[in-house]
Amino acid sequence: MAQIELKGVSKRWGAVWGVRKVDIEIADKELLVLLGPSGCGKTTTMRMIAGLEDPSEGEITFDGEVMNAVDARDRDVAMVFQGYALYPNMSIYENIRFPLRMRNVPKDKQDELVRRAAKMVELSDYLNRKPGALSGGQRQRAALARAIVREPQIFLMDEPLSNLDAQLRQAMRVQIKYIQRELQITTVYVTHDQIEAMTLADRIVVMQGGAVQQVGTPDEIYSDPANTFVASFIGAPPMNLIDGMIKDGNFVADHVEVPDVGIKTTGQIRLGIRPEDCAVVSSAEQRHNMKGDVYGVEPTGDMTVLTLRVGEKNLEIKADRDYRSELGVQENVVFDTNRLYFFDSQSGERVR
Amino acid sequence: MHDSSLSDTRSAPATTAVTKTRFRRRSKWLRAWFPYLLVAPAVIYLLGITLYPGIYAIVQSFYAVKFGPWNPVGFNNYVKLWGDYQFWGALWNTLLMGTISLTLQCVLALTLAFHAYRDPWVRGWRIIFLVPMLFMPSAVAFIYKLMFLDARVFSDILIRFGLVDGNLAIQSSIWGSRALLILTDVWQWTPFLFIIFVAALQGQDEEIEEAARLDGATWAKIFWNISLPLMRPVIAVALVIRGIDITTMFANVFIVTKGGPAFGTETISYFIYRTGFKFFNFGYASAASVIMLVLTIIVAQVVVKRAFKSARG
Repeated sequence: MAQIELKGVSKRWGAVWGVRKVDIEIADKELLVLLGPSGCGKTTTMRMIAGLEDPSEGEITFDGEVMNAVDARDRDVAMVFQGYALYPNMSIYENIRFPLRMRNVPKDKQDELVRRAAKMVELSDYLNRKPGALSGGQRQRAALARAIVREPQIFLMDEPLSNLDAQLRQAMRVQIKYIQRELQITTVYVTHDQIEAMTLADRIVVMQGGAVQQVGTPDEIYSDPANTFVASFIGAPPMNLIDGMIKDGNFVADHVEVPDVGIKTTGQIRLGIRPEDCAVVSSAEQRHNMKGDVYGVEPTGDMTVLTLRVGEKNLEIKADRDYRSELGVQENVVFDTNRLYFFDSQSGERVR
Repeated sequence: MHDSSLSDTRSAPATTAVTKTRFRRRSKWLRAWFPYLLVAPAVIYLLGITLYPGIYAIVQSFYAVKFGPWNPVGFNNYVKLWGDYQFWGALWNTLLMGTISLTLQCVLALTLAFHAYRDPWVRGWRIIFLVPMLFMPSAVAFIYKLMFLDARVFSDILIRFGLVDGNLAIQSSIWGSRALLILTDVWQWTPFLFIIFVAALQGQDEEIEEAARLDGATWAKIFWNISLPLMRPVIAVALVIRGIDITTMFANVFIVTKGGPAFGTETISYFIYRTGFKFFNFGYASAASVIMLVLTIIVAQVVVKRAFKSARG
């Protein structure tokens, strides 16, 4: 149980910045997800929390105590690695027991704790096997068991599910969330998968280029993005961004027109609209905001992703599951005007 | 003419010209044997310099050969070896010096490697440690002979420090001579193991080491619990290579001690050399070589197999 605070933490290797002046507060028992594309500094941030990397600047505190000079092994932090990092020469039982042995937990308690952790991740039948004899999902669970067995102050998970197939990933996601709630241990979870972030997190920290872009609950991140990066990184397919102008309170762009958008600024602006906030209208007479030619139709079963060629750009729309069309057909689209986002076309920052 | 040919290529439909490839066929016989033909010269060469002398030695070991005609003696040479205390002595010396030397080298190399592999200067260390290996083995033997026996450098240093009164008579003590041979071997060949071990440690999954650190393991515990068990196959192979080298140790013995004093440092190789090239008892020497060969193969097989089995488990 611990509250973590990062104050102005930076990491640089010579002229290369890995992480730039990051300030994050992580509440006790919270599950915080660091989300971003590869190279955004999320893993480096986590490794600094773990003590595997020293920050170049700034302070990291656990419960108010500065941790910068504390060695990784003394921070009482457990980490699940992307490649599992199980000890290949030991059985699963020995793997899970290792942290207890290293921390001199009394021998008679060790067995009980190992079996309890193994049971939690449903691995009780595989304790005598070596990691090499397990499947990817089982190895992942073994790594998880090794992390939870000594009930550390803090869990760190570095893309733990990225090596698993989609189905397994979903199951493990639920399991991780359940175990985290059950043990009530502060957790930092690193991922580049926005669905993992949305489903797991109490709060998400979106990072790019070593800097924090936005911190918020999954709802806030999704429905109130701070800039175009966050807007287009979250959501699949991502938010459509349309460059245009504000003229007399109306948004105007190539083949797009939205009246009375309620934005005070004038001139160049970027409009954001999520694919699910667009709808195809049946006839050209009906009110619509956008015209485009069908460029692609991708049925996914529960919906159909329709790609329209609008001017020079491809924009995506989540259409009805029964929607079908031919390529090149002109379609008219209406926007949900309550869910429009405007961004500065230069900086990408949100305009309200 | 020129123009027309140009326009020809332009107007000719690409499909007819390009796709009409004639498939060349090779005979079945050639296809089956071609790979063997390619490697045949190398294989014949290798067999010529290893298999032929080997078989020759095995055949010779059943004969009494002293320059003249070969007289078949059956297993007589082997029976004689069984009762030859000098043969057993040489075997014992080889085993004794080999084990001590190998153990020392291995421990030293592991210790050095584990301290060096995370060092930013590891490349430099590797080059520095490589130096002893680059010397000609006989040159190293001569250096050590000069230092400890002929020129008495070592004794002289000790005398100057007031640690001993007179010259140390290393060559007159069996253990002194053995220690000298061991020292020579350790000095020259620890680097070989060091380089292999450093490479093995550097090849280890860094995440595993980090996981162990977060699990609360100290460097010493990481070494004993994780690095060392994972290195077992590498250690085994390195020790077998080195072990075979030591078993056939000849140059050092020949140059430094000549097997003395009182045959106390006579190795199997030196025994074979003495039997063959001093007493010209070729059949007898061949028999001893065959036994040594068999012993080496058995030991190497057992060591490698066990090491790999436990690592895979």
